[in-house]
Amino acid sequence: MTQSHRLNPQPGEVIDRSAPLNFTWNGKRLTGFQGDTIASALMANGVEVVSRSMKYHRPRGYMTADFWDPNGFVQVGDEPNVRSGHRQLTSGITVDPQNVWPSLDYDVKAANGLVGRFLSAGFYYKTFMKPAALWPAFEKVLATFAPGGSVDLDSTPGYYDKRYSHPDVLVAGGGPAGMAAAIAAAESGARVMLVEHEHQLGGHLRWGSTADQASARQLAESVAAAGVEVLTDSTVTGRYEDSWVAVSQRSHAHAVERLIKARAKVLIVAPGLIERPYVFAGNDKPGVMLSGAVRRSIAMYATRPGSRAVVFSGNADGDAAAIDLERVGVDVAAVIDARSGANIVEAHGGAKRVSSVELADGSSIDADLLVVAAGWTAPTSLLNMAGDRPVYDASCARFFPSATIDNVLSCGGIAGDGNFDEIVAHAQATGRLAAERAAAVQHRLQARTARSAPVEFAEPAWPADVRSPLGRDAHPELFQSSTVGMVDFSEDVSSKDLVLAAKEGYDSVELLKRFTTATMGPSQGKLETVNTVAVLADARGETIEEVGTTVWRPPYAPISLGGLAGRMFNPHRVSSIHPWHESNGQIPIQVAAWERPEHYGNPAGEVTNTRTNVGIIDVSPLGKLDLRGPDVPKLLNLLYTNKWSKLPIGGVRYGLMCAEDGVVLDDGVTGRLGEHHYLMTTTSSGAARVWEWAENWLQTEHPDWQVHITPVTTALSSINIAGPKSRELLSRLTSIDLSREAFPYMTLRTGIVAGIDDCIMWRIGFTGELSYEVHVPSGYGLHVWQALIDAGADLGVAPFGLEAQRIMRLEKGHFIVGQDTDGLTLAVSAGVASLIKLDKDDFVGKTELAWALADRMHELPQVVAIQTAAPTVVPTEATQIVRPGTNEILGRITSSRMSPTLGRSICMGQVPSSLAAGGTALELVLVPDGRRVAATVLDTHAHFDPEGARLRA
Amino acid sequence: MANLSIGEGFIFTLLRLRNYVEPMGLLNDVASRGASGAKKIVGSRGSKPPRYSAAGLIAKGLRGESWPRVWRDVPLRSAYDVIIVGGGVHGLATAYYLATNHGITNVAVLDKAYLGSGGSGRNTAIVRSNYLTPEGVAFYDRSLALYNSMTDDLNINVMFSERGHLTLAHSDSALRTMHWRAEVNKLQNIDSSVIDPQQVKEIVPSLNVSSDAHHPIAGALYHPPGGIIRHDAVVWGYARGADHHGVEMHQKTEVLDIVCTGGEGPDGKGRGGKVTGVRTNRGDVSAPIVVNCTAGWATLISDMAGVRLPITTQPLQAAVTEPVKVFLPAVVVSGSLHVYVSQTDRGELVFGAAVDPFTNYNVRGSLDFTEGLAGHILELMPGVSKMRLLRQWAGLCDMTPDYSPVMGFTPVDGFLCDVGWGTYGFKAGPVAGEQMAECIATQRTPKLIEAFKLGRFEAGRLVGEKGAAAVGH
Repeated sequence: MTQSHRLNPQPGEVIDRSAPLNFTWNGKRLTGFQGDTIASALMANGVEVVSRSMKYHRPRGYMTADFWDPNGFVQVGDEPNVRSGHRQLTSGITVDPQNVWPSLDYDVKAANGLVGRFLSAGFYYKTFMKPAALWPAFEKVLATFAPGGSVDLDSTPGYYDKRYSHPDVLVAGGGPAGMAAAIAAAESGARVMLVEHEHQLGGHLRWGSTADQASARQLAESVAAAGVEVLTDSTVTGRYEDSWVAVSQRSHAHAVERLIKARAKVLIVAPGLIERPYVFAGNDKPGVMLSGAVRRSIAMYATRPGSRAVVFSGNADGDAAAIDLERVGVDVAAVIDARSGANIVEAHGGAKRVSSVELADGSSIDADLLVVAAGWTAPTSLLNMAGDRPVYDASCARFFPSATIDNVLSCGGIAGDGNFDEIVAHAQATGRLAAERAAAVQHRLQARTARSAPVEFAEPAWPADVRSPLGRDAHPELFQSSTVGMVDFSEDVSSKDLVLAAKEGYDSVELLKRFTTATMGPSQGKLETVNTVAVLADARGETIEEVGTTVWRPPYAPISLGGLAGRMFNPHRVSSIHPWHESNGQIPIQVAAWERPEHYGNPAGEVTNTRTNVGIIDVSPLGKLDLRGPDVPKLLNLLYTNKWSKLPIGGVRYGLMCAEDGVVLDDGVTGRLGEHHYLMTTTSSGAARVWEWAENWLQTEHPDWQVHITPVTTALSSINIAGPKSRELLSRLTSIDLSREAFPYMTLRTGIVAGIDDCIMWRIGFTGELSYEVHVPSGYGLHVWQALIDAGADLGVAPFGLEAQRIMRLEKGHFIVGQDTDGLTLAVSAGVASLIKLDKDDFVGKTELAWALADRMHELPQVVAIQTAAPTVVPTEATQIVRPGTNEILGRITSSRMSPTLGRSICMGQVPSSLAAGGTALELVLVPDGRRVAATVLDTHAHFDPEGARLRA
Repeated sequence: MANLSIGEGFIFTLLRLRNYVEPMGLLNDVASRGASGAKKIVGSRGSKPPRYSAAGLIAKGLRGESWPRVWRDVPLRSAYDVIIVGGGVHGLATAYYLATNHGITNVAVLDKAYLGSGGSGRNTAIVRSNYLTPEGVAFYDRSLALYNSMTDDLNINVMFSERGHLTLAHSDSALRTMHWRAEVNKLQNIDSSVIDPQQVKEIVPSLNVSSDAHHPIAGALYHPPGGIIRHDAVVWGYARGADHHGVEMHQKTEVLDIVCTGGEGPDGKGRGGKVTGVRTNRGDVSAPIVVNCTAGWATLISDMAGVRLPITTQPLQAAVTEPVKVFLPAVVVSGSLHVYVSQTDRGELVFGAAVDPFTNYNVRGSLDFTEGLAGHILELMPGVSKMRLLRQWAGLCDMTPDYSPVMGFTPVDGFLCDVGWGTYGFKAGPVAGEQMAECIATQRTPKLIEAFKLGRFEAGRLVGEKGAAAVGH
């Protein structure tokens, strides 16, 4: 097929005839030109049917032939739902129709059209109910009607990016008004970003007269000269709180799509107007086009939309379309002037295209093109998002912005009508006002920013809006629901569907939308809403203003998930000692973002070696917060359940944190390094949460407290040295006196370890062994680790991983927050009663815990140590504890392991208080076979060394 | 949950609610009217409305007729036996079960906008029963059972799509919680089990189960009976069903004040008071019983009766994409990534997330929500990067300190609440309505909702392990 419908060169065409591009459509090889949209290339090649409709699979052609065309969705390679009226042709692409089976030309589901009278909107709510067993099958059939293209699940995201921007003035829309406003704002000293949805600046001037096109070029040159940043093929997709403006940039040189997040001081909304379809029978047939689509096709893409046209015109643009058509040799059979009351009733035609147009007077005119110019819709979305509620003006048949919002201004067609000079003058005034207001906002922001020298001069008066408003051109209200035509082309919702739904009681615009799905398709009502409201108003005997509109929600135009996600940053956290683990046989485990050694091949052996000789473990992921200030004890007293006022310098204490509801939040050890200096450790997974938690209390409840928190988790590498020979090992690397008397349990020392200054050592013992935790500046973590390995060869030093640590802590009976406790476990259930100090003034969770202790202990569960009767049975974690012989759940096993030290299975679990006493018999339901086994509650949490003799050695 | 009620909110509210005593015997008049109420239906439909069916569709299609109104448009009267504030699933279900289970039909449901305009029309329509506590399982299993038979009960196709529900675990510890839930569920005869990444891939091929993903999928809790439902149809179904029994639905009817007498507060409101009716933008209406079934505005309505609730309001955002051919067969939830996703029969992906981390009445939605959402979705399903977000919105969630609702009587005689449903109100709609109806009709708190009494905050018995609807996990 050659480009049979390409016209001779047109003065304003945007195609480059010297650059032909090959592509395939529906399996056929076609050629277009650089600058073509996919739709214009298809039209140039004489393609008439581009898609089939959602429900009735009616053939569809070009209606608006731009971004909003509900008929223009195509599949391009692995990309679904590409807007053929907007996407530019590139060489070699594969374009296919969507939603057709078996083919675009012969579609089996078009048979739905024959039974359409039974498939009124919402029909599915009323059928497929019996027999109920068949509904899943019905559902599968319904799902095959889902419109849209196909996703290639194996495709990987391309390169997407984001950018922050802080323009003084951001202009949405690069037509004459937007350009004039941008120029004026820039010339008034503002930094201006101009965002244009289309590929070129110029708006409707692009398809206007030669003079219009010259004006567009002139304005575009001035825009460049004024230093305005211009983004074409980019859309302002949303205006959020505090003037946070999202721009989807599709024209970036490298990124598939870039999301620009702009904190615009003032937003100017100048999107122009969107041409509105007209509702009449056959209005969705190929060959029915809106006037703008016809004019763009001719002027910009030099394509011939038909050979014999009827033009239904309610405005000057319709008249201009007729003139354009005649100029390029299309026979204009008739211009039906809506302003004089003439009307069209139905577009008749065969399967593929319009063949004649029936008029209200009963006559019929043969034509293969019906051009419709029925009026405009103001795309007020961005204004709505800023809080504006548009108001309908019946004399102009469109909505206008209502209130003025301080830092959101509008100009151009959305604000009113006028000739070129009037529009530009109003836009210039808007641009100047925007620049002045941006300066006022700038001053306000600066004055609010903390700085050494305050901004002294007074805030300038808020610049008043003294613009002369634009006029409004009268336009006939061309709405009808007397004949049955499409209102929502994407959803196949006709005026009859809407009328029936309204009669059925879905008679508010939101209910109607939800019941019929009108306006819920890809253009989100930009073409459909006003017609929907008009049909409803007619059905209810009310005015359009009384009915009102639906809420416009972001985004203004759809934005890809890739674009919203941007570059995918996936931090992978490892400690400074990680290279050693990697080259020494670690089996890694992922814990939150951290990769850690789970073990080095033999976790049981690691336990035994640690209990016998000495083991070292990399505990760098421990959360660490450096706390400084005179009020740190107040903070610790608030966050932890126990007391901190008397912790001496050099002292270390364990603490438990609760949320306000008394539920255990986190735990860890905090040591006092100096008069006003503490180091807090948190669980590895709780590091960020605890920091946020502490800051939240400081900033919202106690801003007067002098405490400064610095997270130092990754600034310090942490190594725990555990085992009977740990003192001997560490003494070889430090001159600090490690003797039992000089450095007792639960104290800390600072000094040099393995030649590294500023190390912090504290004596604690999660494993139950004599142990030292050393925090070293993380640049030296690997050095200290290696030094420990080297120095302790004769002592049998060996690394141990997370698994060995978990076994040893379970042997010792230490619970893990979030594993042995859960989102409902109060601190009073955790078996640490001595840590809950109700005689403190206050701490987070105190009220709840006091109540619980006073009268709820009998109904709360307790964390206890449990052993199965059979020592070889290790019940899976999550094994349920039930009332014997029943399925009544009493509790569960929260931790379980085979203990290498004891040679038997050991568990921790939650049971009701009534079953928490040592020696109580329990029944467990094993996973996965449901076998029931006996177990016993222990007297203490510790299965091993309950007196703690080893760790105090 | 940590940020919910810092400082003033929580503890002070508890103090204010002290000395609360559940009112007894306040509904004698209505209870005794229950049986007779059915006889003296005012404004009842004269004849039985036509049933929905394929045959009906064909007949109407052939004759070009429209269906009768889904619910009647009748004038607001000056008195009712029961006024329900809020025309969402909870309010409508309460009205429906009042009429069908208890014969109390002189009932008006008032909504300031249109039916289903709040949370009922903004949620992501997921239903499931694989909760953590035995009580939670029992409560939601009842709800799921009501949803399962709803198409038949209400004679409207609510399109319950029992497609399976996967809760992904991205870590060892998350997997442990999944095992816990599965074991609880199994003992309750709920179809629920933990599956490995390969099985996850077989059920949902679009998920990236490779171990080098940033948040690798360690497994999932699989709950085959879970699914999605057409939430609007549920609203319309209950409204239509209630209407058939004489209940009146009044839209655009905003309650401006609740009229009380005898209370210790100003204007006879508050503790010890008694409700006599409501003041609306369409005039005053009297009723001995007023039920607050709102969400997002629950505290504002309760304030009108002088009843303070320990509730904060936070938006929950959601979004939907353009449609593509159906590829996602199950509901996928990732707690660690704060996202859930399902694909409608129309082909759109519907996303939801956690509540916004601050209190707010704004339902406009934010940009950073969509950014975070998209990032998490692409981590789970890298193949959908070219799909486009079509629309975003937000709903308001009334959060209580213990993530459980407030149901039943209040210190004001005749004023009842079914509020504080957080992020899970839709799932509970049917059973909540059923229980509230029983509560109103029998003037006793049904066992299933005993734990949700307002008085628990004063007694320090926050719902947790005893709570049927706690969804902290």
